[in-house]
Amino acid sequence: MFMKALLIGIISIIAMLDSRLFGRSNLERPLIVSTLVGLVLGDVTKGLMVGASLELISMGLVNVGAAVATDMVLGSIIATAFAILSNTSAQAALTVAIPIAVFGQLLGIVVRMLMSSLSHMAERDIEKGKFKRVLSYHIVWGMVFYSLMYFIPTFIAIYFGTGVVSAIVKEIPDWLTNGLTLSSKILPAFGFALLMSTMLSKKTAVYLFLGFFITAYANISVTGVAIFAVLLALVVNEFLPKAGKGNGTAATADSTDDSDDDDDLEEL
Amino acid sequence: MADETKNMTPAQRKALRKKSWSFTWRSWAIQASWNYERQMNMGFLYGIAPTLNRLYSKPEDLEKKKAAYQRHMAFYNCTPQTSSFVLGLVTSMEEEYAKDPSSLDPDSINAVKSSLMGPLSGVGDSFFQGTIRILAFSLGINLAQHGSILGPILAMVISLIPSFAVTYWGGQFGYTAGKKYLKILTGGGLMNRVMYLVNIVGLMVIGAMIASMIGITTPIKVGTAFNLQKTLNSIFPQMIPLAFTFLMYWMLRKKVGTGWILLFCIGGGILLSVLGIFA
Repeated sequence: MFMKALLIGIISIIAMLDSRLFGRSNLERPLIVSTLVGLVLGDVTKGLMVGASLELISMGLVNVGAAVATDMVLGSIIATAFAILSNTSAQAALTVAIPIAVFGQLLGIVVRMLMSSLSHMAERDIEKGKFKRVLSYHIVWGMVFYSLMYFIPTFIAIYFGTGVVSAIVKEIPDWLTNGLTLSSKILPAFGFALLMSTMLSKKTAVYLFLGFFITAYANISVTGVAIFAVLLALVVNEFLPKAGKGNGTAATADSTDDSDDDDDLEEL
Repeated sequence: MADETKNMTPAQRKALRKKSWSFTWRSWAIQASWNYERQMNMGFLYGIAPTLNRLYSKPEDLEKKKAAYQRHMAFYNCTPQTSSFVLGLVTSMEEEYAKDPSSLDPDSINAVKSSLMGPLSGVGDSFFQGTIRILAFSLGINLAQHGSILGPILAMVISLIPSFAVTYWGGQFGYTAGKKYLKILTGGGLMNRVMYLVNIVGLMVIGAMIASMIGITTPIKVGTAFNLQKTLNSIFPQMIPLAFTFLMYWMLRKKVGTGWILLFCIGGGILLSVLGIFA
């Protein structure tokens, strides 16, 4: 069982590294990881079947933005292993796997907070001129902690059985889970504030509010606001005092070119 | 872009290819240290670091190098595949700035990043997580249900090819376009004007992100008659996220240490949640 737990733990690391190192190129999807689990446990056909039904279940779940969606990646790895090891259906195995996915999600919140403090350590190391160490926070430590976030729950669940993990999850008090969730929502506000501190001035604050209220009241997506923003920038360009005769017309031409580039990409 | 590459010497073409590979790999790896506070900040720094190391390699440039590293620690979040375009463009900007510091304001580099990341994420996520994923996996599921190992393999191939192509060519396109337009802009002294306009776009995008990506609400209720969140939604939706952002902004203005603010975010989050004020 130790070997099996280790190998499935390694599969969970591969699944994690898909989004960390390979730009989330869908290698983490249930269909792929369940097949890998099937391969390791010597039952590829069952792995394929379980993978196909889990993929169908999770088709609608998309992980976008700061919010952590239900962790189907971790859930499907554990579920497939249980479906094969205890010879049950994919759906039954998934219900057993959910507490482990929850456990992984909590670890995820902690890891993502830890990364914030690494980011502050990186800033201090920039001032000391230790540039190599700055980059290692990202490419070495980021990778290690994220890998552990999947490896630990997977290994425990396979080696000790799901009961142990469910017991651990029960021990975590609700106030801590809810509190950490709120903290994870406040932290991006800090990120935006840092960004604003280099860009915002009394004169330009109006544009920040404009973007905010368009989305807040009309529920228009960030992409939609960006399109309005480009159009507004072109209008503002008309009203800015012309720098000089020749330059003025060139400015209009150039900024039009820039926005054309953006538009081309948006159609991609 | 094809014309651009045609006019190049073999050595230039080789250098461009090397850069494009670096943009590709480093854009894919942008999420390795994803964090709540500034999301892909260190990821972007990792992407631009080879350029910064090359531009500021002399010992007397140490302070400039530190400033450049700090500059790229700002909040950043973009779909890895489309982020490559931004990395290419910003690389050309950093090269221009290192050559002639009077040509552009370094703050404008972050303005360019901020104004592009929103729309490119929107497009990138819906294309890769939406269209491509659904296409690849609906085919894959079908084959897998018939017990064929080709299912997952096909799904992987269909996912990887567009992912790689957009990342590689996007980075190269951003870099060559940046080279071309920045020359025209810096030549005519138009840079400040264009950067002011880019700043407008960047700030509006940040405003939209505050309204859509934070999502703090309040569970405060008085009986069944009064629900604070519902009242807020009807008079000032997303007021709480805006208030939190400006509280942080105010603290930064007052020179409160970032460590303290971070502690406030985590400790305060737990406390406010336990007290039942925010969720």
